[in-house]
Amino acid sequence: MAEARWRRLVAGSALAFALVAASAWAMAQVNPLPPDKAFRFSARLIDAQTVEARFRIAEGYYLYRDKIHFAIEPAAGGLAVPRLPDGKVKDDPFFGHVETYRGDVVVNLGLKDAKPGQLIVIAAESQGCADIGICYPPTVQRATVALPEGSVVPAAPTRNATSSWFD
Amino acid sequence: MTSRARNILLAAIAAVLALALGVVVASFSLKPPDATALLALSLPDIQGAAQPMRQWRGKVLVVNFWATWCEPCREEMPEFVRAQREFGGRGVQFVGIAVDKPDKVAQFAKELDLNYPALIGGYEAVDLSKALGNRLAALPFTVILDRESHVAHTQLGPLKPAQLRSILANLL
Repeated sequence: MAEARWRRLVAGSALAFALVAASAWAMAQVNPLPPDKAFRFSARLIDAQTVEARFRIAEGYYLYRDKIHFAIEPAAGGLAVPRLPDGKVKDDPFFGHVETYRGDVVVNLGLKDAKPGQLIVIAAESQGCADIGICYPPTVQRATVALPEGSVVPAAPTRNATSSWFD
Repeated sequence: MTSRARNILLAAIAAVLALALGVVVASFSLKPPDATALLALSLPDIQGAAQPMRQWRGKVLVVNFWATWCEPCREEMPEFVRAQREFGGRGVQFVGIAVDKPDKVAQFAKELDLNYPALIGGYEAVDLSKALGNRLAALPFTVILDRESHVAHTQLGPLKPAQLRSILANLL
């Protein structure tokens, strides 16, 4: 008797668990990540003239290489953006040669006329899609980088702030 | 099994059931979106002529938010062209709202022999799709209205041909 009840309990909880799992799965189908989570942007100082910009692209998502643009705020400082790393080449029937990124994308940005002690903001525009068959409009994420006082470069802390017109 | 262990197990099962119930209720109780703002909209077509949405009232209206820079959008559009040809005579009207530049839209419309209006929407159109439930303003996003202009279906991501046909058949 006790054993039968125990078995019912186990079966019941297994059913409930399956229901929760199925619901969570169904919701994940229609609830893709917001772009600032799918293409998480960060920036850190690696020396007095260089900021390492990074996109961490979630699994199942990809970014278009030619849709990535960086800017520095205030704009007066100036930013040297190198050639972006090669992406995976795809022949698009409408746009022709396109390159996409998955995983991490790292770009070293050169700072021009960076003033010691200054706070700068790196604005990174990107546009990408998810494998489930949706694409996001271009979105801008921002990361703040503190330039060190004097010429000594500490292991720079970064404070990330993201904003876009999705908010 | 001790009674204490049994109580913990029962509490755990109750918690899991409550959570499952919550998830199910949440997924059903979302308020259906309202198409009033959509039908009040007037957007330019490729030639620049204003096209008020209300001209298609009384039809089964399939409004597809798309862009040329969205590959999954382009992939599903030949099916919309087929469905427009097949169901157009029975009162179905497809309308594309492109979050894109007019020249790109015109070029793709020509390549595809698009047989339904391609309107150019900006941020206004994006905001509208958000109001219709497209929280992330992602594409493609499709809204299907019945003849009484009630929202019958919204879809983020591609509509499967069979799914589209079954929705349209139910509304005709």
